[in-house]
Amino acid sequence: MNAALRDKYAIVGVGQSRIGRVPEMSDYGLQLAAVKSALDDAGLKKQDIDGIITHSHLLGAVRVHHQRLAERLGIDTDFGLSVSSGGATSCLMVQLAAAAIEAGFCSTVLCLHGDKGLTRKSGDGHEPVQEFGPEFGMFGATAQHALGATRHMHEYGTTHDQLGAIAVAFRKHACLNPEAQMREPMTLDDYHRSRWVVWPFHLLDCCLVSDGAAAVIVTSAERARDLRQPPVFVMGMGRANNSRGWNYGNHMTELAARESGAKAFRMAGVTPADIDTAQIYDCYSYIVLASLEDYGFCKKGEGGPFVQGGRLELGGALPTNTSGGMLSEGYVEGMLQIVEATRQLRGQCGPRQVPDAQTALVSGNGGNAVCHSTLILRK
Amino acid sequence: MTPSKPIPTPSEDSKPFWEATRNGELRLQRCLDCSSYRFPPGVLCPECSSTSSEWVPVSGRGRVHSFVVFHRAYHPAFANDLPYAVACVELEEGPRLLSNIVGVETARIRCDMAVEVLFEKINEEISLPKFRPRA
Repeated sequence: MNAALRDKYAIVGVGQSRIGRVPEMSDYGLQLAAVKSALDDAGLKKQDIDGIITHSHLLGAVRVHHQRLAERLGIDTDFGLSVSSGGATSCLMVQLAAAAIEAGFCSTVLCLHGDKGLTRKSGDGHEPVQEFGPEFGMFGATAQHALGATRHMHEYGTTHDQLGAIAVAFRKHACLNPEAQMREPMTLDDYHRSRWVVWPFHLLDCCLVSDGAAAVIVTSAERARDLRQPPVFVMGMGRANNSRGWNYGNHMTELAARESGAKAFRMAGVTPADIDTAQIYDCYSYIVLASLEDYGFCKKGEGGPFVQGGRLELGGALPTNTSGGMLSEGYVEGMLQIVEATRQLRGQCGPRQVPDAQTALVSGNGGNAVCHSTLILRK
Repeated sequence: MTPSKPIPTPSEDSKPFWEATRNGELRLQRCLDCSSYRFPPGVLCPECSSTSSEWVPVSGRGRVHSFVVFHRAYHPAFANDLPYAVACVELEEGPRLLSNIVGVETARIRCDMAVEVLFEKINEEISLPKFRPRA
């Protein structure tokens, strides 16, 4: 996306359901709660939505999900799409919304992800892998991402104290967020004492599992000016995929964030030094560290020292995941990162507000650990 | 009943790989046009898009690109193996594959450690290529 699209689209509404353990609500119940909250936030009626993009579910494996959601919301739409790029889907949906409006498909787009990740256990919806993994006891996203952390530790001397600093910072932020799933204070000692899941990851290196949904509404900057909230403009958009896989080349230690971020910064006309707050896709502590390096907030290999000393905490140089992130607020596959960035730029974050936040960076990373998307937002 | 570990289901593409391991041999697919080795198996060379390839024996030597140690059983059949190591092994010929590192305490495994293949017979059809430290 070129610089001509800078600031041409805006996020005008954000909303979320309850996050955490919500056994009494269905998947659609959570999703509709998020949609209603986003519509109310924007001051829009459901009939104003003429495009809908949803994440085709990891957990529910629901086909043509956007239609099923619109059916329950009670609207027909000009444009609808259910997409899947794992953890990169969140920021990618906002980009697809802008592209769809730019192409004239529709004018106001609802983007949504949500499900009962915690209290409904069914198959994970992944296509079954028949060979080259399970027979060796290789299962799950934790082990896959842990391979990257091991290699990063080997190449750059990254330590558990450094990974732990990330988890501790985000928990501090969650303690200021009444909606967060984890609000018990946590120390670096607590981090070190938490059990190994797949070494080198402790339990507290891993994101939560949550019931929850979140929605984001995108429209043109022009239309945004008439709505209830101050618009949050999309300055930069980037996306990239290390599609040859996590095991290939240097992909375990250099994420697609590098190229995705470069595109977003170029489009936005800003640099990492201009970013007031970052909301980074934190499926695992290590992905935060590597993302910050690959975005150029520090040099490659210096992410370890960079995240220490409170730099990522409120009051630090780069307040990151100020709602607690997926490590401590709740896991809605990156959507809450967009919600939090929007609220920070509107100045609505109360005790966890970054003073005078003007610009925010949001990331999504996933899809077998190699798909990435980036948004740079401003007030 | 004791749960059993997953057994690979060879695909049309990977059948020669598993036929070779059954015979105690590690073979990889090599492009007949650009000579590059590939893994996982497939009909197209990811380097030059050629559809011509052959399956050739490889050294079975490599190094640990990275590894993890499972402390939690994601499948009940692996509960008695905990803690066990899964590694991404880079073969001398280039491709990387996932396997187990055996014959060494997990605490002694390191990235870039030299390893060599050995075969663990599962049944008459399937033998798994695993790796152990190489002097």
